Amino acid sequence: MTVTRAIEPWIQDPLVRFVNEAGARLTLIMTPAGQVLAQHGFTRAVDVMAAAALGAAIVSSTREMAKTLGEETFTALNHQGVRHGIFLAEMASPRGPLLALVVYGSESSVGLVQLFFEDLVRELNEACPEEEPTRPAIAADFERDLNDSLASLFGR
Amino acid sequence: MPLVNFTAREITCKIVYYGPGRSGKTTNLQYIHGCVPEKRRGKMVSLATRTDRTLFFDFLPLELGSISGFTTRFQLYTVPGQVYYNATRKLVLQGADGVVFVADSQARQLDDNVTSLQNLQVNLLEQDIDVRAMPMVLQYNKQDLPADLILTPNEMDASLNFRDDPSYPADALTGVGVFETLKSISERVLRKLSEESPS
Repeated sequence: MTVTRAIEPWIQDPLVRFVNEAGARLTLIMTPAGQVLAQHGFTRAVDVMAAAALGAAIVSSTREMAKTLGEETFTALNHQGVRHGIFLAEMASPRGPLLALVVYGSESSVGLVQLFFEDLVRELNEACPEEEPTRPAIAADFERDLNDSLASLFGR
Repeated sequence: MPLVNFTAREITCKIVYYGPGRSGKTTNLQYIHGCVPEKRRGKMVSLATRTDRTLFFDFLPLELGSISGFTTRFQLYTVPGQVYYNATRKLVLQGADGVVFVADSQARQLDDNVTSLQNLQVNLLEQDIDVRAMPMVLQYNKQDLPADLILTPNEMDASLNFRDDPSYPADALTGVGVFETLKSISERVLRKLSEESPS
């Protein structure tokens, strides 16, 4: 089943276009901390939250490895398996750095993904509003909801 | 900063369990993973060595439920406690919304606790974060050990808790104090978010 979710709506159209054109199975756009801002594709291909955490860790550790070698950064990396490949890259945006994790299968290739990834970066930068969204008005008396949620979580 | 989805009314917060090696950070997550219903948690990911020492991090996503009308998710991470894994500790700390400092209550581990706490402050400062601005709670683990081997919670407070943060005695293996610690850090993170929200 194809799932599309976008916490920040401006990401959605460029992301959907990229997935369709590159023939990717799933693509996540996330923060450097591994929090998913948007996703589109077959979620059965991967455990989304675990993949995001691991992808962010790979990018972070690769960046540090680049520094130890005197490189500013490695722009992208690709892992190729028998049935799936993943493409991971960091990109600059007006909101700061973002990460992309692309999962693709035999119907696509790393070349195709790289080709359309450049378009994705450009389109995201064009679509990105400069203003941050306003914060949520969490009620000051949230404790009751929190206590109920945690009690049910721990069966208390 | 917590990630907020205004359209779907969702909040995602990152909590990092920090502390010296073998203090019980992974045990906290394993206990939580074991007692939370499957539908309310995701897959626990552990990047560990062959001897089960944390190499990079453990990761456990939790769904708390609806809080102030927002579906609230917490992503729990641990760091590797061993001194020589500081580079990876820094990476895991990036973007943290709250920290649980898990201290080992054994008297002979006191220096390691202090060193780890200082390391936390240094690593946060490198990210331009003042530790005083970071929601934090302390957990004094292994309080089940014989009394002559451990420091009391008051003694641990005197040595580690300079900011007078909430602190909890714990035996993470059996779950004592694990729930209270998670509840406390959840409150502190959401309180900060609430205070930063427009009125």
